[in-house]
Amino acid sequence: MPPRSLRRQNPITLLLAAILCIGFIIFFFSNGESSVSPAQGKTGGTASNVLSPPSLPFRKSKSNEAAGPPPVVHYHMNKLTTSRTPIENRETVLILTPLARFYQEYWDSLLKLSYPHELISLGFIIPKTKEGNQAYAQLQAQVKKTQSGPKNKRFASVTILRQDTESPLVSQDEQERHKLEIQKVRRAAMAKARNSLLFTTIGPTTSWILWLDADIVEYPPSLIQDLAAYNVPIIAPNVFQRYYDTEKKAMDIRPYDLNNWIDSATAKELAAKMGKDDILVEGYKDLPTYRTLMVYMYDPTADPGTKVKLDGVGGTFLVKAEVHRDGAMFPAFPFYHLIETEGFAKMASRLNWESWGLPNYLVYHYNE
Amino acid sequence: MLPLHASSPKGKMHRHAYSSGHAAYPSMSGTFSIQPHTFQPRSPPSLRFRRQLIQRLLLAGSLFFLCFFYFVPDLRPNLGFSPLSLFTSNEDTQLETVRYYDLNNVQGTARGWEREERILLCAPLRDAAPHLDMFFSHLKNLTYPHNLIDLAFLVGDSKDNTLTKLSDKLAELQADPDPRQHFGEISIMEKDFGQKVNQDVESRHGFAAQAGRRKSMAQARNWLLSAALRPTHSWVYWRDVDVETAPTTILEDLMRHNKDVIVPNVWRPLPDWLGGEQPYDLNSWQESDTALALADTLDEDAVIVEGYAEYATWRPHLAYLRDPYGDPDMEMEIDGVGGVSILAKARVFRSGVHFPAFSFEKHAETEGFGKMAKRMKFSVVGLPHYTIWHLYEPSVDDIRHMEEMEKERKAKEKEEQAKKEREEKLKDTFDSKSGDWEKEKAAVQDMVRKAKEESKEKEKPAAELTKNEAQAAVQPNKDQKIQEARGEDEKPKPQPAQ
Repeated sequence: MPPRSLRRQNPITLLLAAILCIGFIIFFFSNGESSVSPAQGKTGGTASNVLSPPSLPFRKSKSNEAAGPPPVVHYHMNKLTTSRTPIENRETVLILTPLARFYQEYWDSLLKLSYPHELISLGFIIPKTKEGNQAYAQLQAQVKKTQSGPKNKRFASVTILRQDTESPLVSQDEQERHKLEIQKVRRAAMAKARNSLLFTTIGPTTSWILWLDADIVEYPPSLIQDLAAYNVPIIAPNVFQRYYDTEKKAMDIRPYDLNNWIDSATAKELAAKMGKDDILVEGYKDLPTYRTLMVYMYDPTADPGTKVKLDGVGGTFLVKAEVHRDGAMFPAFPFYHLIETEGFAKMASRLNWESWGLPNYLVYHYNE
Repeated sequence: MLPLHASSPKGKMHRHAYSSGHAAYPSMSGTFSIQPHTFQPRSPPSLRFRRQLIQRLLLAGSLFFLCFFYFVPDLRPNLGFSPLSLFTSNEDTQLETVRYYDLNNVQGTARGWEREERILLCAPLRDAAPHLDMFFSHLKNLTYPHNLIDLAFLVGDSKDNTLTKLSDKLAELQADPDPRQHFGEISIMEKDFGQKVNQDVESRHGFAAQAGRRKSMAQARNWLLSAALRPTHSWVYWRDVDVETAPTTILEDLMRHNKDVIVPNVWRPLPDWLGGEQPYDLNSWQESDTALALADTLDEDAVIVEGYAEYATWRPHLAYLRDPYGDPDMEMEIDGVGGVSILAKARVFRSGVHFPAFSFEKHAETEGFGKMAKRMKFSVVGLPHYTIWHLYEPSVDDIRHMEEMEKERKAKEKEEQAKKEREEKLKDTFDSKSGDWEKEKAAVQDMVRKAKEESKEKEKPAAELTKNEAQAAVQPNKDQKIQEARGEDEKPKPQPAQ
């Protein structure tokens, strides 16, 4: 029957039917985001005014509308939760990155995160240097691409800050970067950048903050859920680096971040003898601290879920927003002879928040 | 389906059939065919079956994908924006998700109102309903452009109607017919910290409660600030709601000094029996060697609180240096700051300085804030002669004292009343005589003066008139002295002529 009846039809009718069909299919497919937007509404995740926390997207007012006075907005911070099941509770995560160089691998890994992107806000702070300008342009291009791309890949909001660096010493050469004398100035400037980024973007609705250095380029897509599942105030993964072993003629991994450590008696003694403005840092032969470093605790055969209590943390960790809200920040001055992220762990402990580390959960640093 | 059809020979036939009938309109040839009364050969069965099969397969395929994509939305191919979304919801095009800020533009300068610098005004509130009316009248009177002021409140652990009253007041403020009265972003954070300490004056200022209270206050301040600070803010102003009197230009006045952290002097008015006025905020001070030595002897978690005998620090306090007639622009370097009214550049807070909720160099909250700002090499300044006035809330002792005084006053009044009545009586009986005596005295004096003047005019020539005048001026003085010597009752001036 069908071929016969079809043949009887007039071509214009068929053409119209076909157009209708195609139109319907396009409409059907392109409208796929409708399942996402109501969920976003549930978190109350949009602001109605430009004057709103940067961790929320806002609705632009129509140009022909007269702008009314900004509304009075209530934030119910009692209802803000940080739990081991963050997705179920629709907890928002703010990912903060001080950016000096942009690596495409960094952005690609970010896009692969399996945590619902509509619950993720991003924050970047970029120095106003030549290198920073380049990173800024690269980042901007990627952000534009992602935020106008498929809706389920879009992040809730992206905030990009620029700031003059305070010290002229921040040349990022590998050689120069790790000299002890420069370390203090460099890390103080870094601490200030981190604080500027943190305190202007945290807003009233953030539950978790993931500090992710710009040179962390590889990690499991479930990073946020995995770390949050431990439900501890501060938790740091172990930072390793992939490199080409010329002896074995194969790719291998090696420890990278030395700032995740457990304090030692020697370090405490050293600190006690130091002047008020001296700092004690890891990784220098002229200052042996004998602290237990988490990078050397990695054991591929052991339980991957092992956690250890830390006294100092590095630049990549997940933290409950209330830790920062209570005042734990990155000291830009020697705080108990510690500075920046290590000082942060100390300040958090003064506020009764514990730091933990996962020696067998690896993330990878870029190889320069 | 379409390509199948197009390939069929049918079309040609239509055209052929029609073109004969409508030769006059060649352009329309063959597009319309309503009755193709022509013979159409059937295609061979094998071809027909194949076509049927293809059609069915396509139909089944499209149905399958339709169902599949319906249930698995994540795998749908993206074909761009839905055409209908332009009409139904503007969510997509109107939603702004990316923001760029340059923090170099918000460093804060001496003349912020000209550069349109935004101020964040923070006020932590707890059981503050009685003070809100006063606070809002201060807000309305601020001369700094209101649209540049963002308001942020943290309401927590309140047992009264602070929250509802605050919301009503703010809604009223933003609904003001004058658009210049409208403020910028207004946020109310609701957060309970479960504080056990009472907010009444006695428990608030008791020494034992201080350290714990200061720490939880610091926590509230940090939560408020971190939730409300934006990359657009150049300044942050902390203001207590219980300030009674402050200049309306306070923001500009403090800003003009272009310091990182600046506080005015805070005093409070007192009832006359307590001295009329008193320094209120003792948390603004300069560090002293005694205090530093004291700090070294205390353990890590101890908090030095100023203004209590338990810690004698001998620090110079901003409050005690006030001179009511001093230059209000005079500055003084300080180390600890009081929290009643602090204007700070936002970059101070951005760089990480906050209100320590732990013992930072033996201090917490606003004093610790001052210490930390100093540690990070920011300028911290107080204005000893620029004063704002805190509300006077009588303490329990004061209230008791005042009740006693009230009693005393009433008793005294009664006594005075009785005394007056007695005097009235006395006056009624003896008054006429004293009046007579007055009249007689005046008459006698008059006569004496006249006689004197007459004799003088006769004796002295006109040239010595000046001397004469001087004498005349002395004359009443003498009289007065005499009268005073006679006693209080006989003073002529207050006595009404009877």
